Amino acid sequence: MGLPARYGIDLKELEVRYRELSRVLHPDKHAHKPAGERRISLGKAVEVNEAYRILKDDLARATALLALDGHVVAEGEGAPSDPMFLMEVMELREELSEARSAKDLDRVGALGEKVTAMRRATTAQMATAFDGPEPGGAGREHAELKALVGRLRYYRRFMDEVDVIEEEALG
Amino acid sequence: MPTPIGIDLGTTHSLVAWVTPTGGAVAIQNCDSEVLVPSVVHYREDGGVVVGTGAMAQALDHPEATIASAKRLMGRGADDPETKRLGSYRYASDEGPVVKFDVGGGKVVTPIEVSAEILRELKNRAIDDLGDVGAAVITVPAYFDDAQRQATKDAAKLAGLDVLRLLNEPTAAALAYGLASKENGVFAVYDLGGGTFDITILVLDDGVFQVKSTGGDSQLGGDDLDRALAGVFLEDLAYADGSEVPSNIARALLSGARRVKHALSDVEVVDAEIELPDGRKVERRITRADFDALVAPIIKRTGVACRRALRDAGLSKDDIDGVILVGGATRTPIVRSYVAEVFGKEALASIDPDQVVALGAAQQADLLGGESRRDDVLLLDVLPLSLGLETMGGVAEKILPRNTAIPVAAAQVFTTYADDQTGFDLHVVQGERELVEDCRSLARFTLKGIPPMAAGLARLEVRFEVNADGMLSVSAQEQRTGIHQEVEVKPSYGLTDDQIEAMLLDAYEHGGDDVAKRMLREQQVDAARVLSSIEGALGADAALLEEGEEARIREAMKRLSDAAAESTDHRVIASRIEELDELSTPFAGRRMDRSILDALRGRAIGAIEDETKDAKGVETHLAEEAEKYAQERQDS
Repeated sequence: MGLPARYGIDLKELEVRYRELSRVLHPDKHAHKPAGERRISLGKAVEVNEAYRILKDDLARATALLALDGHVVAEGEGAPSDPMFLMEVMELREELSEARSAKDLDRVGALGEKVTAMRRATTAQMATAFDGPEPGGAGREHAELKALVGRLRYYRRFMDEVDVIEEEALG
Repeated sequence: MPTPIGIDLGTTHSLVAWVTPTGGAVAIQNCDSEVLVPSVVHYREDGGVVVGTGAMAQALDHPEATIASAKRLMGRGADDPETKRLGSYRYASDEGPVVKFDVGGGKVVTPIEVSAEILRELKNRAIDDLGDVGAAVITVPAYFDDAQRQATKDAAKLAGLDVLRLLNEPTAAALAYGLASKENGVFAVYDLGGGTFDITILVLDDGVFQVKSTGGDSQLGGDDLDRALAGVFLEDLAYADGSEVPSNIARALLSGARRVKHALSDVEVVDAEIELPDGRKVERRITRADFDALVAPIIKRTGVACRRALRDAGLSKDDIDGVILVGGATRTPIVRSYVAEVFGKEALASIDPDQVVALGAAQQADLLGGESRRDDVLLLDVLPLSLGLETMGGVAEKILPRNTAIPVAAAQVFTTYADDQTGFDLHVVQGERELVEDCRSLARFTLKGIPPMAAGLARLEVRFEVNADGMLSVSAQEQRTGIHQEVEVKPSYGLTDDQIEAMLLDAYEHGGDDVAKRMLREQQVDAARVLSSIEGALGADAALLEEGEEARIREAMKRLSDAAAESTDHRVIASRIEELDELSTPFAGRRMDRSILDALRGRAIGAIEDETKDAKGVETHLAEEAEKYAQERQDS
């Protein structure tokens, strides 16, 4: 999308570029054109939408950057082994399931906020680890980055669960 | 040139609109100046079909032969809980997964056929008014899943309508408002129709309508308010719990409830009097406070979806610049005050909430199929519900999450779990829940012919593609052998192509539509469109042509225009269009690449993302480019 290949990106800039590209590429802009041209436009629009989806998502962006460096993180790989972190996650999950059975939505919400803050801290760490060393990404500590990706996945799953609980309770 | 039309195919009523030569959208009236066609179809004993107000008049006397709210059953199976909830119809209990109504006289119809009758009525209305009618944009609730969308497309096919696009109802409404006001900002569209609820958050930025998130409940609507009220009236009648209420009584109570609901929008107290077909009478005083208390739990369900849509969009209610109300049920005062509470501001309803969706659909039809007077408007929509695959333990693995911008594709690699496994079962599901059994099953297929190898060695890439209608196709490939399989996802609850074919043939026999003539005319229109588009391109971008390319393209253009003028065989024209298309595609590709560069960086030339994928050294260069770009933006 014409943005630099770094982790820290300007999301507002991403939005603007996404809309500018869509203005010229979206199939609706080529609805009157011959079939070949419509096919090209569809293919390009799909690429742009895929790039947009990946870039705006903090986790997908990280795995994509790692993949660019030749480090593909498969599902389930990079699970954190840091005992402190695992302990913390376990406690959080326990708290969440207690709050769930007690139907204590306030507590569920507070837990969600807590994990959101932790997630933000991790993405900040991630930005330093990705973009800090030097331009072009040389000197990145890929083992560290994979561990951070593993953490983000935990937080993501936790937030998904918070989502489900809130919906069940309200719906 | 045929006029493209926009159709709002609603649960309780439907309508059709078009864009006038001056650019304004208007709804088409019938000879009685009525715009809304009740979405009711009556099947007469003599085989005739009545649609709309005339059908409604038959509902009390012939409840089983008169189908209302068929939209609620689109894409649903006979075993679906929703099917049972509707109550007052006689269902045909024969084979097949699609719901069928037994409308008497040995005739059995599906909700798709019922909807097709409504669409045909609207199309005829448009023909009466406009003469030549072209393809249509048909709106669907944003929250419709793949099966419900497919069913809607099938209905259009049966009605002999070409579909330009299935457009989400809230997006259509936003288009109508946005084109009227031209104000940029973030908007929430709250759409409570007869049978469905949608909430959509979107950004309007200089003609681009970008949907950020959408949510809702495809089984919640104004009908539910009527049903709740009818339940109160039912208390006065002596029916034991669980005993069946005759369908004509249920109908009378429902329509009575609807009248009371409408009246309560203007006054505080209504003394309801409902005469029943069996001579009994229900009398009861209902205050607005009674009604509000009764329906509050139903309305509150919409708040959950609103909050989730805001969260998905990454916004809070303070970020919303305006709220747009759509759907007749938003006339109810308690709904309005609830919306104001959820979003912290009063909502807009300056365009008739019953018409706004059709007006927006007409605008989109004009953009896609008309003479395209405006080139500055674009709708960017999203996938409403996550799409995924069943994995081990009945867990749904999401491949494309909800609210992903469409059209889009995504792929995921799986592997075999047993030695010498030669087939791989794929189960495609849609929904947000963790377990497959709680999601909607869309399709199952098996990738066969994988050569025997040890478990975990095969690499199966499953690719999901969603088009701009929000509809899915799936392909799978074993990467070591290249074995490839593609499925168009025909939902488990849909009609088969054979069934549609048969229904179509049936329709032609009765309708006397001259297929060959229609196809010839379509090809002629197509030829004119292709010719003018390429002519324009040649004029605008002569610099991008290669040596001798223009002469070759011009030759093919001549062959096509000759065929379009002289040939009476639509296939000849079609093959010449194809020929020209093939010849001019490389030129079109060059033009597209050029416009991408323009879009990214004003008029300068630079690198695009594709090139960064394999070239690491480019990153530094890109960082500089981005800086330059930012500088340019600042300067300008």
